[in-house]
Amino acid sequence: MRDSRMAGQKNSKVVSFIRVVLAVAVTLIILFPVYWMVVSSLKTQAEMRLAVPTLWPETFSWGNYAEAFRVIPYAKYFSNTLIMSIGLIILQLNVALWAAYAFAKGRFWGKEFLFLLVLAALIVPDQVTFIPVYVMMSKLGWLDTFWALIVPNGASAFGIFLLRQSFKSLNNDVLEAARVDGAGRFALIYRMLVPMAMPTIVTFIVLIFIAAWNSYFWPLIMTNSSDMRVLTIGIAFLRDSIAGDESLHFHIIMAASVMAILPIIVVYSLMQKHIVAAMANSTFK
Amino acid sequence: MNNNNKQELKLAASTRTPVSVRNWRTALEKWKDFMFALPAIALLAVFLYYPLVNSFYISLTNWNMTRPVKKFVGIDNYTYLLGHEDFYQSLKITFTYTIMDVVLTLAIGLLLALLFNVSSRFYAFMRGIVFMPYYISMVIAAMVFVWIYNGKYGLLNRVVAMFGIDPVEWLINPSTVLPALVVVSVWKGVGFAMILFIAGLRSIPADYYEAAAIDGANRWMLFRHITLPLLSPMTLFLVITTFISSMQVFQSIDIMTNGGPLNASNAVVYWIYTMAFSQFRTGRASALIMIFFVIILLLTALQWFISRKKVHYEG
Repeated sequence: MRDSRMAGQKNSKVVSFIRVVLAVAVTLIILFPVYWMVVSSLKTQAEMRLAVPTLWPETFSWGNYAEAFRVIPYAKYFSNTLIMSIGLIILQLNVALWAAYAFAKGRFWGKEFLFLLVLAALIVPDQVTFIPVYVMMSKLGWLDTFWALIVPNGASAFGIFLLRQSFKSLNNDVLEAARVDGAGRFALIYRMLVPMAMPTIVTFIVLIFIAAWNSYFWPLIMTNSSDMRVLTIGIAFLRDSIAGDESLHFHIIMAASVMAILPIIVVYSLMQKHIVAAMANSTFK
Repeated sequence: MNNNNKQELKLAASTRTPVSVRNWRTALEKWKDFMFALPAIALLAVFLYYPLVNSFYISLTNWNMTRPVKKFVGIDNYTYLLGHEDFYQSLKITFTYTIMDVVLTLAIGLLLALLFNVSSRFYAFMRGIVFMPYYISMVIAAMVFVWIYNGKYGLLNRVVAMFGIDPVEWLINPSTVLPALVVVSVWKGVGFAMILFIAGLRSIPADYYEAAAIDGANRWMLFRHITLPLLSPMTLFLVITTFISSMQVFQSIDIMTNGGPLNASNAVVYWIYTMAFSQFRTGRASALIMIFFVIILLLTALQWFISRKKVHYEG
């Protein structure tokens, strides 16, 4: 009896050991492309061409980063991406806060129908609307400006849904008391609802930032001058602008890529718990 | 105290005000509430619903964006596309890519969910790493894989050479280009599938397993008869959402292949883009957009329909 129990314990220890080994192996495999990007960004051109690739740079060739800065106006692209991201955060967040308040706590005619109209927007991909919006932007003279990058994406159906869910779960009594005290709607939203729904709002901001930072299709369509390029477009152009055999220049491209995803890696590492929780909860609508 | 007084005053006031004034006041309150939904609705109306209708109208014209004339041609663009081999070729490429992507992402995602579903800090940390590629820009991910796939110096050919295989131009060979694109998408997507499958696994009550184990079910039977059926709502959700987003494949193609070699990776959205912005066939591109949108709508409807009918739900 005792023997078999001990054997069972031993067995389960072996199983959990194998499990950890497998899990670590999988994690390393998934991490590998990012690792390879960083390692490649630090190699010299000669080392990039070795028949047996090195897993660790022989010498750290930091000059690749300086070279990336020289080839493309990196700071300009970086600040463009930042301005676009901040603009989208400010607009999407406020528009979603107001709408979420109206749909969660407000009373007006056609509320359910209008909310359905907002949700239906989730099904329509960018590719369905980009041609008419492009024409509209061109008529307004907004092409190649931040307006075209920010304003058409001002309403986030996902964000409105997320914040509405969170507002709905908040107690009405406190709001009623505040309203009786003569608080206006803006005060209700920004002084009461926002502090109470803070975790959801932080998650939403992080998700807008990541989506904006990574966006490619929209800026590709709406901008064309080199002054207006965002990082994703800039890196695609960096590759195109390399003369001759591009095989010889991946250390530079990788250096530019590392700099482009650094903000995402930092934000993701800090906010990972919130993001994972939000994703796991956002499925069954 | 002050509060109570106010409330009483308000109560008194409301009992004294005539009905018509009260109605007018509630109408005003409703109007104010509506004003807060208005910015979102206006933005969606102007930048989503109007363009949607407008896209349909453009699809019925022979418009070329570089020229001012726009002539109404009815369903000509649609008949052109439906009668053209390129259209079926592009659909075939898109669906081949999509099916490979969905099957691999979900199968690997489920295996990873079973492997990583352990409550400990270390496992949470590893899950964080596996999920990370989901948030890395597709442009950068594609760029790293372009380097790995590079015919001359890329890592993949170096590894393959160790097994005595000749170098392959992964992105230039028509038979390897789609799998090469799928790998990038799977790499980015498995973490997401894993996280959702784990959420699904954790919502299955433990007593189901205990009861079945007492009845003598082995591990495989538990998986086959409890885990899989109870995961099916999550699986359906993932199949449809992955399918829809996978059909929109664009960025990786634009970076890695430009639709090549010889259109072997010319998936629908990439074709729409080149048709509209390189060939300036705005009308025809819009017709393709509409067909594409209808396919997405049908898939969404299918998800809605099945989730109401067939999938096992608890209880």
